[in-house]
Amino acid sequence: MELLQYTIRKLLAGIPLILGVTFVSFLLMVYFGPDQTYQLIGKNPTPEQIAEVRAQLGYDKPFVVRYADYLRELGTLDFGFSDSTGEKVSVLLGRTIPVSLALITPGFILGNLVALMLALIAAHHRSGWVDKTIMGLSVVGMSISFLIVVIAFQIVFSSSYGLGLFPVRGWNVHSPGDYFAYVAVPTMATVFVALGYNTRFYRSVIVEELTRDHVRTARAFGVPPARLLYRNVLKNCMIPIITRIVFSIPLIVISGALIIETYFGIPGVGKVTFDAITSGDQPVLKAVVGLTALLFVLAQLVTDVLYRAVDPRVSLK
Amino acid sequence: MSSEPLLRVTDLVVEFSTEQGVVRAVDRVSFEVRPNETLGIVGESGCGKTVTGLAIMGLIPSPPGRIAAGSITFQGRELAGLPESEMRAIRGRDIAMVFQEPMTALNPVFTVGNQMIDVLRRYRGLTRRQARPAAIELLAKVGIPAPDKRIDEYPHQLSGGMRQRVVIAMALSCDPKLIVADEPTTALDVTTQAQVLEQIVKLQQEFQMAMILVTHDLGVVAETCHRAIVMYCGRIAEKAEIEPLFAHPRHPYTVGLLGSIPRVGEGEKQDLAVIPGIVPDLLHLPPGCRFADRCSRRQARCDEALPELDGGEDSRSRVACYFPY
Amino acid sequence: MSVNAASVASPAATTRGRRQTLWSKAAWKFRRDRAGMIGFGIVLVYLVAALGVWFGWWATGWAEVHGGKWNPVSGEYWFGTNLIGQDIYQRSIYSIATAFEVGLVVAVLSTLLGAVLGSLAGFFSGRFTDEVVLWLMGVLDSIPFYLLVAAIAFALEGNAYAMHIAMISTFWITTSRLVRGEVIKLKNLEFVEAAHAIGVPEYTIIFRHIVPNTLHILLVQATITFVAAIKSEVILSFLGLGVKDGMSWGLMISESTLEVLAGFFNNFLAASVLMFGLVMAFNMFSDALQDALDPRKVS
Repeated sequence: MELLQYTIRKLLAGIPLILGVTFVSFLLMVYFGPDQTYQLIGKNPTPEQIAEVRAQLGYDKPFVVRYADYLRELGTLDFGFSDSTGEKVSVLLGRTIPVSLALITPGFILGNLVALMLALIAAHHRSGWVDKTIMGLSVVGMSISFLIVVIAFQIVFSSSYGLGLFPVRGWNVHSPGDYFAYVAVPTMATVFVALGYNTRFYRSVIVEELTRDHVRTARAFGVPPARLLYRNVLKNCMIPIITRIVFSIPLIVISGALIIETYFGIPGVGKVTFDAITSGDQPVLKAVVGLTALLFVLAQLVTDVLYRAVDPRVSLK
Repeated sequence: MSSEPLLRVTDLVVEFSTEQGVVRAVDRVSFEVRPNETLGIVGESGCGKTVTGLAIMGLIPSPPGRIAAGSITFQGRELAGLPESEMRAIRGRDIAMVFQEPMTALNPVFTVGNQMIDVLRRYRGLTRRQARPAAIELLAKVGIPAPDKRIDEYPHQLSGGMRQRVVIAMALSCDPKLIVADEPTTALDVTTQAQVLEQIVKLQQEFQMAMILVTHDLGVVAETCHRAIVMYCGRIAEKAEIEPLFAHPRHPYTVGLLGSIPRVGEGEKQDLAVIPGIVPDLLHLPPGCRFADRCSRRQARCDEALPELDGGEDSRSRVACYFPY
Repeated sequence: MSVNAASVASPAATTRGRRQTLWSKAAWKFRRDRAGMIGFGIVLVYLVAALGVWFGWWATGWAEVHGGKWNPVSGEYWFGTNLIGQDIYQRSIYSIATAFEVGLVVAVLSTLLGAVLGSLAGFFSGRFTDEVVLWLMGVLDSIPFYLLVAAIAFALEGNAYAMHIAMISTFWITTSRLVRGEVIKLKNLEFVEAAHAIGVPEYTIIFRHIVPNTLHILLVQATITFVAAIKSEVILSFLGLGVKDGMSWGLMISESTLEVLAGFFNNFLAASVLMFGLVMAFNMFSDALQDALDPRKVS
């Protein structure tokens, strides 16, 4: 019951944020965005034709009304139809979001799990050569642009100049085998880039925790070092770790997917977003931004609830 | 009291490598602790008393620090240089340590009971079901009220005094022969201090343990210890049984320490007696007595060579000074 | 009481020798960090290259078209030529200048913005100013970066600085969070209380007394932002949202995506390797800086 109240309170607190995000993005993209009037009309439009199209597009309504319409669309998840393809936006998203998730999830999970393991190993052998090597490789990972990794991996693994093991582009998934073939290279690229940042971050959190007094107490009571890490330290590190993981989800799904999908030609949300940006497809853009804002607020809520599960000091006030 | 020492420290040297050079935090310190007796190690911050305690436990942080020389024998067995795996078997079971900061000594994300049961299972081989009542009993023994409720609480729900009692209970649960207590009551308020100290002494007698009590508080030493060593700048200034130490302090430093304790009801108001000067920089130590430049009895001889402890192993009072009181 | 060498050697700092400030100690520590010094050196080399471009000493012919298509590495064209016959070497060098320009502008301005907003939020924490800044951070954080860039590009009608502005409007957030946290810690210290007590006005306290104590954070964050800006530029230029006039590594890589499928890797490699060099060196420099400035080093 307490948890429910807490959850509701947090959701309500997220409203100013949603309003803010939608307002700012609406302002920037729709109000200052490309004016589609002329694209739809053709040559030598008459003033009447212009006025008609503008009314159709809703450009003549006052700002507040348009914004309110937007909020309503967000609430009902009905964003109208895509300007470029004419497809119903919600259907479009319904089709592409699962693809993006299927694409990004393995990389996301692996990227964090492997990073955590490496960080534990590095912290365990602190200041030794294992630690220095892992940290050195992390810095290298952090210094290469994601785009470069994506292109390089495509060349090396997929193209005829490299190993040619995996398909170069596309997403023709009809079986688990297909899935593996298409997801392999993107996953490797994601993991490669994420590892650098994540390992460093997790290692610093773990090392910070290792210097705490309660670890010294545990050592004084003869707890062996491996057990020390996993039992006494890991749970304590969970708050910063959870925060980072949960907050990186919205980022990864939209931004990370955008590059991979655009480059590999995979029909997911990222590619759709990118196409919408370049073609100025407003309904789609409005939908994506709105949903991202919602995701962000949800992420905050989830982390707050998870904190409570992990650290008893966090109060439900 | 049996005369065979439980712990014998001989010429212990502990060094730390710092960016500015090697520092000797403990410089040839020797002492013994007999079964069931309490030895106090007194001195101000930075004199090496905590490092001595950590050295006994093998808990000196090893990149910067190390035991450079000397021996630490426990029940005849050499501890200095023992591999970590063997040291771990000794920690808790034979020698337990209680630290200064009760607020942070316990893991905040596990319950008190969880942490105690962990220790009990490791050292007494109890199952989880057996360990719980044992833990409750221990909590009661250290004076925590309603232990069956407290056992499921988290450390942040307990006060500082109670947390320290929990740590003491954990230390006791292994039935060690020696407890090293590093300023166990310094972080507590005065009333709690007195209670916890009383508890410690009572438990020590009941469990028949020896104790090394590291502190800067002479009052605590007077109440609880049988013998004490006064440390200054990594060396022992005076080593004596409690009665002669307080009745006839011989080292000028000890005299200064005792003299600087404010006393109630002395008649007319006086300025607080202070020992003039400051502790020398451990990177730039003088060749002679380290207390010399603060000492009112200083002579030329004091600056030439380090004084060693006089008397023999059996003396009730030994002092390292050329011109003691 | 945790034992560390510093507590054992502490009498030194005040009695012996010169007074050591955070900066002199940091400089000394930094000089001993070999990786950091190497990184710093490499960055300087790049900086000289960029200066040369700005003064017009070299890489002036980056846009000229006179080579053949996809010339291999040769004496005349050190890195070969691209699809339309431009000198890859000159383009790569010119891009160094672009990278520095983007990096410096974004790093300096976003750090400034982050410092100001962060310290205001921290000092007035819990009150309206803080809530507003936090809300702003949340809002800007939740708009996907690329969307924001696109939106700003549209709003500014394709201004060449749209990319910079977009980067600044998101990169200030991390700095601001860190500064806010530090200011919250600092404002409870006695020197602030003392300043209040003798009647120093609030804004003077914030900017003359508290913010200077966050300089170590600002410096490190500026270097991190520099790197982030360069890396982001690559992706933005690839998406067509980045550098408009001039040349950059991002544009080179964007060009090279087609070339690479045909087997010509020079363009791609030149841009990637040079960029990796600068970013890696800067990262090493940034790490060493952080270690040197950290008052309680936990490594």
